[in-house]
Amino acid sequence: MSSYSAREATRRGSVVPPLAGVDRPVIDTVPSKCDVLICGTGLAESILAAALAWQGTNVLHIDAHNVYGDSNMCLSSKDLTTWIETVANGSEPTGMNAQFYVSAPGNSSSRAQRFLFDMSPHVMFVKSDMLDLLIKSRVAKYLDFKGLSQFHTYESDSFEKVTGNKEQIFTDQSLSLKTKRKLMKFIKFVLEWTIEENEFRALSNIPISLYLEKEFELEKAQIVELVIAIGLCDHLDVSASYALPKIRRYLLSLDVYGSFPAMYSMYGSSGELAQGFCRSAAVAGATYKLGVQLTGWDEQSNIATLSDGSKVQVAEKAFLSPTQPSPLRPLVNVDQFADEDINQNVPQGDGSGDLGSKNKNANTIYNSFDNLQRLKGTKYAANPYSSAYRGITSRMVAVVTNECKEWFKDGESAAIVVFPPGSLSTNNEYAVQTIVYGPGAGIVPEGFSCWYLNTHNPDKQKARDDLNDALSKLESSILRESNLGHLIGSLSGEDIAYKHGAAVVSSVRLGESMQNFVPQKRLNYLFKLAYTSPTSKGRKFNKVELQPVLPGSDTLLSTLFAPGEISYDGIVSQARKLYESVVGSDDDFFDVDFEDDEETEALDPLEPIDPIDSMKDTVSGSPDHPAEEVMHMEL
Amino acid sequence: MSAPRIAQFKLVLLGESAVGKSSLLLRFARGVYEDNRESTIGAAFLAQNVRLEPDLVVRFEIWDTAGQERYKALAPMYYRNANAALVVFDLLSQESLARAQSWVRELRVQADDGIIIALVGNKLDLLNQLKAESPNSSGKIGISEDAKSYAAEAGLLYYECSAKTGENIEAVFKGVAEKMPINEYFSSQEEEQQHAVDLGASSSGCAC
Repeated sequence: MSSYSAREATRRGSVVPPLAGVDRPVIDTVPSKCDVLICGTGLAESILAAALAWQGTNVLHIDAHNVYGDSNMCLSSKDLTTWIETVANGSEPTGMNAQFYVSAPGNSSSRAQRFLFDMSPHVMFVKSDMLDLLIKSRVAKYLDFKGLSQFHTYESDSFEKVTGNKEQIFTDQSLSLKTKRKLMKFIKFVLEWTIEENEFRALSNIPISLYLEKEFELEKAQIVELVIAIGLCDHLDVSASYALPKIRRYLLSLDVYGSFPAMYSMYGSSGELAQGFCRSAAVAGATYKLGVQLTGWDEQSNIATLSDGSKVQVAEKAFLSPTQPSPLRPLVNVDQFADEDINQNVPQGDGSGDLGSKNKNANTIYNSFDNLQRLKGTKYAANPYSSAYRGITSRMVAVVTNECKEWFKDGESAAIVVFPPGSLSTNNEYAVQTIVYGPGAGIVPEGFSCWYLNTHNPDKQKARDDLNDALSKLESSILRESNLGHLIGSLSGEDIAYKHGAAVVSSVRLGESMQNFVPQKRLNYLFKLAYTSPTSKGRKFNKVELQPVLPGSDTLLSTLFAPGEISYDGIVSQARKLYESVVGSDDDFFDVDFEDDEETEALDPLEPIDPIDSMKDTVSGSPDHPAEEVMHMEL
Repeated sequence: MSAPRIAQFKLVLLGESAVGKSSLLLRFARGVYEDNRESTIGAAFLAQNVRLEPDLVVRFEIWDTAGQERYKALAPMYYRNANAALVVFDLLSQESLARAQSWVRELRVQADDGIIIALVGNKLDLLNQLKAESPNSSGKIGISEDAKSYAAEAGLLYYECSAKTGENIEAVFKGVAEKMPINEYFSSQEEEQQHAVDLGASSSGCAC
């Protein structure tokens, strides 16, 4: 094993440990010692592992599941079946209400192998701390990114494409000159961002909708577009100080790598990134083992017992993700999260852990955390388990037999569709956000697309109803749009039905020409899955206090629930917080000198290349020349 | 003289830990055998070039297992889109050949159908040395014959080489390079590049 310790590494500054293991001796059992043990390979934990490993810390990283990612995992069809069984067995967070539907897919086995299911889908804004970190850490080199430019808003039964940049505003014929001028004024304000700190802080009490209406005289349609689509906020009453940076993020992200504000990684989002950071950690010497869980912890000796029977002496810290099964504590109960959020208050535990609720047992651990915090006199808001920091995210995944090309820009394979509050027949209080992936995203094969819907309504049942309604809206919309292609040539009465009354859907491409027609043909769902996950809220976690897994322990800490947003906001902040709890500060977080920079010579195509004698190893890319030629390998 | 065309492919290394995968890679990459090496290969992977024709270069992006194979924790990412795999074994170890065979089975499950797999026996220098020391030995030295027949049966490329002396290393990579779908690479390239985001091409230049 590596002889580097965190302390030594700190003294030495950034070090590059020896390349891990391919020709080190085979070891059958996990190491008996490590500096830091991390249980759970979620994205924040994986970033932590890589940051620590590159800083010289000896990391043992395990996961109870046989796949990487923890709550961020990305599953093959086969893994998904296993996961569903696990949920049914109760060894995943309880109360997830996972519902699963598969159509009789005929010859699914060969085809189905090519499906991937992203348990927590994300898109990446170009201007984001996550992308900066991916480039700096070189983990971006393991990933393939594609642009995502289409943000659609569903309003008044139609899809509107978001008017996100100046050019679009100028050319958008549906906007009046007056509206254009006001929008331009607002966009200029956001981009220049000359707002004073105390003025900005005061905005935390002002709903964004009111602010945009009063300060910029924007109309409802533009406000919805800016806040719900561009800003991806949950509703119009979020504070201006929350929403403005999110709107700004979109605008700043445009035209950095192309005419898109966001990107997605192929073959899955956060789970793919987690794999990349784990690989990076392994290169720096971290040890990986999957399918093994933390079963025991001795607080006196800091010895961890794992389910494979091994015992590990932990020198510095151990972390257990709250979504990892472990007999050390009960699993999270999603219902409790939801209930608290609805009541907008904190848990009312009285010290006995008895809430008189049906979820009594599962509540206990969080009550004990809460009580501990009270005893310590810590501010409640700093408790990551308080409702200020946590909530639920209800999700629905559907694979349909339609490529949904109509929603993508030419050459792209993904789009965002948002359903603003009040736009669904359920009169949804919270926005429903959807990521649609077509065949080019490496998630579904040709002929299919995958729809990921999510909402943050704290009422699980309402959230589920909203998702179902949004799904049916998506369905009728895509049917209408894809049917139009056949319309000119071969329209028959059986293809299309006439619907009386209000128009049902229209689209950005088709305008309103087909609003009164509804096709009778139904979309085929290869599969549909709905579930609810416990998630974190917010973007900044630097003030939270990490909680011990067992009361009184200060070495074995619980990590944080993965944020429920579809952007990567908050994850780097969480990883930094975890890192700080080990190293004492996050100053040198991923401050890695890769040492090979001087060897990084770009290949000169004019130089004759001899395969063996004059070979120069060009370790691909460097912070100075990020990912030149590496971004695309798929052939 | 015009610049050579460069076709890029992903190559993964597999095999039991003690067979010398990294040494082999380093030998190829640097042309140096470091007996007692403490390498700093960096965060990503090696990019190495093989010139097939005066105006055609195959660039391998070589992924090392980084030790994640030790507890079978190799991520799907490792196998994904790999065009070639070198499955390395020790010419003197029957056990390492058995492990190599299980890696080949793993590749058949995890990797793309079109992947080119080369079975590579390392430590040819040791094998030759043993043979030289006992020229009249009637007993079998090494496991070349078993390995060769397995490779033929399984449809694998087969090489014997020495990371220590450099013998035959070039042939391994050149042989694999020749099997790469070069024409397909160039024909799909144009389309793919339009869609992929090049993180090195930030127009504002401040992405990092």
